[in-house]
Amino acid sequence: MTERRLAPLLLAGLVAALLAGVVIGPFPLSLRQIGAVLAGGGDTQASTVLWNIRLPRVLAAALVGAALAAAGAAYQTAFRNPLVSPDILGVSAGAGFGAVLGILLGLPVLMIQLTGFATGLATVGLVLGLSLSLRGGGQVLVMVLCGIAVGALAGAGISLVKLMADPEQQLPAITFWLMGSLAGAKRADVAAALPPILIGLLPLVLLRWRIGLLALGDDEAKTLGVEATRLRLLIIACATLMTSAAVSMAGVVGWIGLMVPHMARLMTGPRFDRLLPAAALIGAAFMVLVDTAARSLAQMEVPLGILTAVLGAPVFVWLLARGSRGWAE
Amino acid sequence: MGGMSPLLEARGLGVGHRGRAVLSGIDLSLGPGRILCLLGPNGAGKTTLFRTLLGLLPPLAGEILLAGRPLAGIPRSEVAQVLAHVPQALTTPFAFRALDLVLMGASAHLGPFARPGRAETWLAMAAMESLGIAGLAGEEITRLSGGQRQMILIARALAQGAQIVVMDEPTASLDFANRIRVGQAIRALAERGTAVILSTHDPDQAAALGDAALLVGRGQVLASGLVRDVMTAERLSAVYDIPLRRESLSNGELHFRG
Amino acid sequence: MQYFPAKALKGAILAALTALPALAFDGRPVTDATGREVMVPVNPARVFAAGPPASTLLYVLKPEAMVGWVRAPKKGDLPYLRPEAAALPELGQLTGKGDTLNLEVLLTTTPDLILDYGTVNDTYKDLAARVQDQSGVPYVLIDGSFAMLPQSIRQMGDVLAVPERAETLAAYAESALAETDALLAGIPEDQRPSVYLARGPEGLETATRGSINAEIIERVGGRNVAEEGTGNLATVSPEQVQAWAPDVIITIDRDFAANVGGMPEWQGIPAVANGRVYLAPAAPFGFIDRPPSVNRLIGLKWLAHKLYPDHAKGDLRADVAGFYDLFYGVKLDEAAVSALLGD
Repeated sequence: MTERRLAPLLLAGLVAALLAGVVIGPFPLSLRQIGAVLAGGGDTQASTVLWNIRLPRVLAAALVGAALAAAGAAYQTAFRNPLVSPDILGVSAGAGFGAVLGILLGLPVLMIQLTGFATGLATVGLVLGLSLSLRGGGQVLVMVLCGIAVGALAGAGISLVKLMADPEQQLPAITFWLMGSLAGAKRADVAAALPPILIGLLPLVLLRWRIGLLALGDDEAKTLGVEATRLRLLIIACATLMTSAAVSMAGVVGWIGLMVPHMARLMTGPRFDRLLPAAALIGAAFMVLVDTAARSLAQMEVPLGILTAVLGAPVFVWLLARGSRGWAE
Repeated sequence: MGGMSPLLEARGLGVGHRGRAVLSGIDLSLGPGRILCLLGPNGAGKTTLFRTLLGLLPPLAGEILLAGRPLAGIPRSEVAQVLAHVPQALTTPFAFRALDLVLMGASAHLGPFARPGRAETWLAMAAMESLGIAGLAGEEITRLSGGQRQMILIARALAQGAQIVVMDEPTASLDFANRIRVGQAIRALAERGTAVILSTHDPDQAAALGDAALLVGRGQVLASGLVRDVMTAERLSAVYDIPLRRESLSNGELHFRG
Repeated sequence: MQYFPAKALKGAILAALTALPALAFDGRPVTDATGREVMVPVNPARVFAAGPPASTLLYVLKPEAMVGWVRAPKKGDLPYLRPEAAALPELGQLTGKGDTLNLEVLLTTTPDLILDYGTVNDTYKDLAARVQDQSGVPYVLIDGSFAMLPQSIRQMGDVLAVPERAETLAAYAESALAETDALLAGIPEDQRPSVYLARGPEGLETATRGSINAEIIERVGGRNVAEEGTGNLATVSPEQVQAWAPDVIITIDRDFAANVGGMPEWQGIPAVANGRVYLAPAAPFGFIDRPPSVNRLIGLKWLAHKLYPDHAKGDLRADVAGFYDLFYGVKLDEAAVSALLGD
């Protein structure tokens, strides 16, 4: 599909998803009421629900979806592997460990999110430091293996925290957080997550043509004028910033970073300069729809991670069955 | 040809991995429009030499000068505008379209935040047309044959518009017609003033295309100089460790046989 | 705790410990809630509580027989406990989510009886039989539902050989339940408020109708707004709470109670607008939950006063002081009662 036809289509899809997210919800709001509130009037409770609960949540979902999908696309290109997700260097496990530790220690919610953000960054920093100091330098394979090791450590830390947690008071909260949820998304959360996600996204967008050259392999990228090792480190830094912010806000939400880039690649092909915007738009729309389902299917919240897996796994199988478009046979 | 300042120069160059030299004592000087052919048995270190010339490996000894400046001090983006590489094979797992791949070469002169536009697409298509593969532009490279992929890689190097092109066995997997086309493209490049280094296993091709030849083997340079002078039957027999004869064809071209 | 190096030595000591209760035994048969007939000591002197509800019940009935707590009391709880009991060690939990207990630890406390108080189903029946077989210590499980409270107190008192004490407490329970029913008889359905139970610092965790954590709400005539669900804990969004529009919010989280007035997502909810967000007292045991045990008796009165301020009779402060004296064995002065109730 040509760029000119695709871009408006994806934008329209995102707008439709956002509209659906704003209109659907457990609190009964008619279209007229929504219109009135958006215009500045409307009754106070409708106004509270729309401005303080529903809109922040929809925006948070869009941000999280865009961040995870963009990070996934960047990782898949930089690591030359279409089966890579943003968690490969351990950022989700690390952020998860920090956040559940915060829950265990009974920290206020803001501190829990900050701790998760910080430990997510620290985990990837540790992985990079380890892999760069080992024999082989910045090689991709060494990085991935270090990521697996450190990620496993963080996972063990999470299990330990779950063991020490009060089974009545803290364990349900920890379990729910680990499955991903935007139930508590507030305006303040969106405001806090926006800067790191934008700061992470900006270099990826600006350099998207150069980044695409990494898909050829380090040697070819270098002879085409790209400082491959440095650029890869930049990509890791940006993707980690975005993913850490997303995870600290929404918990661990899987599949978006792995699957949405594939869906985007089906439409745009593997060229990263087209893939990145498409993945971000599709990820945002997808996450908004999933979150809308999470809060509207039942009175009780359904964790996001469950929904993304239930939706993602069949879509992934369908993608495989269609034939490997976008990567080699 | 010659007499102008060399585009690419190597002085006392030693190449290898982790401190162990594979080839040493290399001196070469490449001027605009010159074609240098590198001949040597398998494992002699030709690819290592190329990778060092391209800046992918640090030299173990000696230095490399690009248009008079030390290669080590030049940023990669600048190097790519002057020096292009045609690798032996494509290793990307993604199904790029042929035109996209050639565009990657055509865009080498762009700034870091720029994307290829109409001008670059035109350059890419022109490069593909000059090699007769314009019809492959929309095809996915994963569906093409090895030979077709090689032509696309050559087109990419052409589109890069560099003054020096380094080709690692560019016709190894090509059919007869494509071999001729590539040979013609190489000569056309030289006529435009581009310098070419290529390695080949076909002494006939080296003799036909090259102005100069570099023979390597057993860790050192065995001979270096003009093709007619260097590519003698004795020298080539020593390089390939098999008795060879040299003949002159009726049109003046050299021919080697066992 | 010391670990002995030689495995054989360990085994021998274990065998000796398991033999001890059997040797020192002059027992009587008791049928517990699982239908098993268990031989319990005539006068149990060292009783191990399998979970927090059992711990609380043991504390109110026969604190001198406690060998330890499932979870150590927090610093803020200490003034509200008998000092001897407050000093007992933490041993871990045998049942429920989070089985953290090593049976060897259990046996080093040399109990002559294990008591469990809570849900009676096949899982806990199986656990009771297993632990008894493995450790040789008799294991008695008593039904922990609110409806059976007076009978359960009496049954537990019989097992522990403190029938008079049990009778006093059971009588209190019966009168408290009767008082609640009498109060409710005079309040029509439409004057009974809808209630949301807010857990966690964001107040987004709740216990749905039918769960043991929230059953006190229905017992006092309130209507738990969280109707769906399998009778367990669940997470909801603020929008869902807005849609439910509860009249009263009960919370067990101090931070939530303090901050909810300033949270923009909670504005407009009737409970918040009318200032009917109540923090349930929790020292040394929660009024409405935590654990779901006999401590909820005082929660009945407290909740009645909060839900029906115009109808509830009696002096809550006096009732609280009386309950703490009778059940927990501590005398509260006015300041302590105020601190407890948050007045």
